[in-house]
Amino acid sequence: MSEITVPRVRVAVVDYLNAQPLYVGLEGAEVTPRVEVVRAVPSEVARRVAEDEAELGLMPVAAAAAIGDIRMVRGCSIGARGAVRSILVVAERPIEELETVALDLSSRTSVVLARLIFRSRCSGREPRWVGRTPKEAIGAVSLRCGALVIGDPALQVEGRFPYAWDLGALWWEMTGLPFVFAAWCGRPGALTEGDERLFAHAKAEGMGRRDEIALAHARQFGMDPDSLSSYLHESIRYEFGDEERGGLERFYDDAAREGILPKARVRFYDEDRNASVKVPVLDSLLARAAEGERLSAAEGERLLEEASLFDLGLAADAVRRRKHPGDVVTYIVDRNVNYTNVCTTSCRFCAFYRPLGHAEAWVLSREELTRKLTEVVDAGGVQILLQGGLHPDLRIEWYEDLFRWIKREFGLGLHALSPEEILHIGRLEGLSVDRVLERLRSAGLDSLPGGGAEILVDRVRRTIAKAKCSSAEWLGVMRHAHHMGLRSSATMMYGTVDTRRDRINHLLKIRDLQDETGGFVSFICWDYQHEKGTRIEAGEHGTILYLRQQAVARILLDNVDHVGASWVTQGPEVGQVALRFGADDFGSVMFEENVVSSAGTTFCMNPPAIEKRIRAAGFRSARRNQAYAYLTVPE
Amino acid sequence: MVMMDAIEAKVEQGQRLSFEDGIELFRCRDVVALGQLANRVRERRHGDKTYFNRNIRIEVTNVCTASCLFCSFAKLEEGMPGAHTMSLDEAWKELDDLKGDPPTEIHIVNGLHPKLPFQYYEDLLAGFKRRAPSVHLKCFTAVEIHFFAELYSMTIREVMTRLKAAGLDSLPGGGAEIFAPEVRSRIARGKATGDEWLEVHRVAHSLGLHSNATMLYGHIETFEHRVEHLLRLRQLQDETGGLLAFIPLAFHPEGNGMKNLPAPTACDSLRTVAVARLLLDNVPHIKAYWVSMTPEVAQMALRFGADDIDGTVVHETIYRSAGSRTPGAMTVNDLVRLIREAGRTPIERDTLYDVVKDYGSSLVPEASFKVSERKADRHLRAMS
Repeated sequence: MSEITVPRVRVAVVDYLNAQPLYVGLEGAEVTPRVEVVRAVPSEVARRVAEDEAELGLMPVAAAAAIGDIRMVRGCSIGARGAVRSILVVAERPIEELETVALDLSSRTSVVLARLIFRSRCSGREPRWVGRTPKEAIGAVSLRCGALVIGDPALQVEGRFPYAWDLGALWWEMTGLPFVFAAWCGRPGALTEGDERLFAHAKAEGMGRRDEIALAHARQFGMDPDSLSSYLHESIRYEFGDEERGGLERFYDDAAREGILPKARVRFYDEDRNASVKVPVLDSLLARAAEGERLSAAEGERLLEEASLFDLGLAADAVRRRKHPGDVVTYIVDRNVNYTNVCTTSCRFCAFYRPLGHAEAWVLSREELTRKLTEVVDAGGVQILLQGGLHPDLRIEWYEDLFRWIKREFGLGLHALSPEEILHIGRLEGLSVDRVLERLRSAGLDSLPGGGAEILVDRVRRTIAKAKCSSAEWLGVMRHAHHMGLRSSATMMYGTVDTRRDRINHLLKIRDLQDETGGFVSFICWDYQHEKGTRIEAGEHGTILYLRQQAVARILLDNVDHVGASWVTQGPEVGQVALRFGADDFGSVMFEENVVSSAGTTFCMNPPAIEKRIRAAGFRSARRNQAYAYLTVPE
Repeated sequence: MVMMDAIEAKVEQGQRLSFEDGIELFRCRDVVALGQLANRVRERRHGDKTYFNRNIRIEVTNVCTASCLFCSFAKLEEGMPGAHTMSLDEAWKELDDLKGDPPTEIHIVNGLHPKLPFQYYEDLLAGFKRRAPSVHLKCFTAVEIHFFAELYSMTIREVMTRLKAAGLDSLPGGGAEIFAPEVRSRIARGKATGDEWLEVHRVAHSLGLHSNATMLYGHIETFEHRVEHLLRLRQLQDETGGLLAFIPLAFHPEGNGMKNLPAPTACDSLRTVAVARLLLDNVPHIKAYWVSMTPEVAQMALRFGADDIDGTVVHETIYRSAGSRTPGAMTVNDLVRLIREAGRTPIERDTLYDVVKDYGSSLVPEASFKVSERKADRHLRAMS
């Protein structure tokens, strides 16, 4: 036996029934030294590949398009030629007439397919899509509402509803082509020729074990083994040749034309070996960016690394202009109020927090709040941005009282409590996120700030903010808030241990959630303010990088309306120039801001100073509220 | 935009831009498009190279007979609070203090002192040269030279010939402000006119001394005044070829006679750098003076036409008196980092732009772009 010297190939797979035949053979002893198989849910498989925690994933094809520059293993896929049985839209009435469809939004390939089929069959019209768990989705079916059901739940409801669309069958009808739902996907160069043979062998073995897999699955979930065997033998097709490729490319083309997925091509690993890779010209990528096309993560990375500052600026400016044709830049009169500096997370980049009982620890009194909020009202302010540390003794009633008091006494908008604080209150009170948000909303909460997102990649978060919530938790709070009708902003703090890829992945996570909820009103980014009192070294940063980073965010976040320039961190000068790099908002006047200023950044601007800068950058200026409605006539 | 296209075509063909073109460029609202055009010219001339030097600033006296509205530095008379004139020993000590890390240039700019003998200045220069024969002495603005000629009843040529003999190597670009008389008479009374400023530089160039030129922008002047100013410099350069660099200076409003005026914004500064690069087709270098602009705006300016960020500038007091909050000095490391962050290649130069040290290209985005583009280009050519 030869010594294994090459690193192992980490392979992430979904443990869905229809996927097992492709990988059960990989779990055998013979391949184990080279391959390490990890089972996960579909979105997690894609995340692992995107964040380089797995070399290869059995991945939904929509996720592969979003990552971009993906190679696939020839010969293996999960697909169908005609009816597939496990991807259905079900309803109590003709599906063309549905107003709403409930669905599990995490299955993006099926969602994209369903949208394309609706648009094609209902002359461009789509129903309203609402996110639900699979069980809830089926329960939601009513006269006006249908459900998109996938996998086991779909097999279980076969024949139960009077109207059902089998999306595999409809795709076949529409295109005459097979459909590919998932395939082995990874980055270029991740597999050797020998590795590819492993996957072919594993598939051959799995094909022979389909009855065994069906039987085990049927026993475990109380289903009919014959029906499952037939499903694996007849409905699901595992080939990935020229015809399947044709079907997948048709799917990619249609989805890109509709602006649902980034433009993508199918490319196999073996093709890289036989021919050199043609790198598309950067100019065409920039032109597509300026046109507002949806770009993949790989394309975002390429822009961030290779495009010139000006090309990025002009492309981002074109995107901004299309979204906001009036050449108006807004700002808001509000105040950042930090209610306590006591915090239990001790993030290494933070110079603001103090532990409970520290001589410099404080919680704002009502007197101090009265003074601050009166100043806001007197200055014509419309809201406060209320955030604080995670104080272990402040109960939910404290926040509820505070919110009600602020509403009663001052009538100000409450843009309050980042996801981290919501989670903290939930833990403290033993309440669900939903319940915390509901109670705070009825006490006066208007919208959520996007703070604490830092970089939504857990490897980064673990290094810089170990005690803080995971990316999924942060996004989860926002998802709940958006589903309840609360809007929020999204942020990014880069420039610590994050790589360019991390930053792009961060942006795509925001874009994905925004596809699902539409609840993010705005995005703003800034670099880590490295100063005394913080405990991590600054990574990649600087003025030029800030402008590039903001421009790339404007280009990638095609579904977020507003991008703000962070003059508070970058200074009024850079903030002003950033308006030409995709931002349409100049943020807020500044009364005070404790967190960033304790790290040494202090700038102050009043409305005339802000308006002057906006106009000097060539825009009209208007004051806004949190919903971005103009409060003054743009001039 | 039609006009902008025409200007772009001229720039592409290397044609000289007109007065009207200059006005159009200043009026262009899209500062990024303007910057891109200027950057093309900048990269055609200098690629990624970005220059800095190790210099010190010495202001030996702030006593001044001129009364410039924009100045927060000068005190009118000796004996007034804050007025100070260095003894020669004090001045020389500024250099002695830096023995471990000697600068390559000493940059001296002063008030117009009515009582100091001419000998003081000759001794000042000679003393520095005795201490450091290789140090470059960039001293006295044209306004001072002109003032010396009047005060000591000499011709401009005589003044400079004697100072050159004492050790003067070149003239700094200060005191140009805005040449147009209707502006100059309001903001800079009691000093050399625009014509006189230009004449001093003309004579300096004829004596083999190089010089720089500046423009103080962002106060009461119009775009027309700026363009006229730039074109007069271009004309001088056509005649003599003696200008090394043009340095736009942002007006700072604190503590001076124009404190009710707003300071120019970053967009205005970047626009001015870009237009200067485009109009001054015969001046080799455009300098983003970080003390005037702030380091952040200077970084951006390195992508809007500027190829020089000035020096370490130990002991600058003129801008600091006018409320500039930029640090008083930068180390070589600071400057190298600043330039690298802007994706450029830092090059330490001496005053005459001979290379002292090439720090090599950096690995930050803008630079890596060039490398991979070139790689992709080669690759595509190899395949075709």
